[in-house]
Amino acid sequence: MKLLKTLILSGLLLSAPASADVLADKNCGSCHRLKPEEIEKSFTGPDLHYSGNKFQPEWLKQYLINPEVIRPAGFVTDPGFLPKTDLPPHASSSIEDANALTKELMTLKISTPAPVNPEPLSKGLRAKIKYQFERTFGCISCHQSLNLAGKVRGGISGPSLVNAGNRLQAAWVADLLKTPETYIAKSRMPSYKMEPATLEQFTRFLMTLKKENIK
Amino acid sequence: MLINRKFLLTGIALLIILVTACGQSEQSTSIAKPPTQQEVGEVREVNRQTLQPKIVTVTEETRQTYKWYCSQCHGVKGKGDGINAKFLTVPPRNHTKAAYLETRTNEQLFEAIKFGGLSVGRAPCMPAWGHTLAEDTIHSLVRYIRELCHCEAF
Repeated sequence: MKLLKTLILSGLLLSAPASADVLADKNCGSCHRLKPEEIEKSFTGPDLHYSGNKFQPEWLKQYLINPEVIRPAGFVTDPGFLPKTDLPPHASSSIEDANALTKELMTLKISTPAPVNPEPLSKGLRAKIKYQFERTFGCISCHQSLNLAGKVRGGISGPSLVNAGNRLQAAWVADLLKTPETYIAKSRMPSYKMEPATLEQFTRFLMTLKKENIK
Repeated sequence: MLINRKFLLTGIALLIILVTACGQSEQSTSIAKPPTQQEVGEVREVNRQTLQPKIVTVTEETRQTYKWYCSQCHGVKGKGDGINAKFLTVPPRNHTKAAYLETRTNEQLFEAIKFGGLSVGRAPCMPAWGHTLAEDTIHSLVRYIRELCHCEAF
């Protein structure tokens, strides 16, 4: 019996992925939520317990090596909503660490959102949705995006969408717009009850936003 | 002749105002025809009953709601100086200025929050909060704005 217990225990230990330690080694959990059950604690960085749903692995790896600014006003958790300009930049990792971290982060998933048509939007539809992005839904008040001239425009309280097409998975974007509560208990963003067709076009529009299009 | 020119000038000025969007967009003005509500999938259900003046008292929750959502643009104290303010072409309303707010009825304020700025002929930067906030919450926010401006509608 004791032998059996030891066997099971050692089996459990061995079967735990070795790379799981990478997140702990790098102390990611001190700023980021890595498990859905961690709710009470208030984190100073964005939730990562659905990284595998949210990010494109190539972007994640590049980010870890050479971090870019996603939230120009910092990750604002303060209910008084004061910009935190004193936040240190995200640590940068070596290529090996970035590979290991990306591999591990991509396993963190909480949902299986339906895939979105990967075809890029036509120029006409892009212009139409861009118009809605600015005027119908007012997204640009809080999110930076690119205008048709390739210039960065928009507010800073929400994450920048200038590089959304490289950073995010289309299926996740669509799912977030449809059911934000799956990912964020209480967002600062208004809910939009979009028609499915609008939602799909919106997602595909966001996927056209890439930093290489900045002029 | 002079009158005709005046008309023309007013027309041009109106057009310019109409096509100006939120994000300081000099290039975003290529579309002449705005999409209809149906196209964008936003079905606006105006229930006249709920637009009637309703007094909902301001609670701590109202203040927290204002801080959480509204302060992004309107500022923590409602002075129109939120962290997004300087990035918008149309500055967010300063809720402490009675001179303007006393010209707005409570229904107009309610509609602006529930259906967005465009619904009351104001800037599109203000999104619609009708799918996010309960009607009573919106009524209490209207009361809170009245507290901030120390004013009532005429």
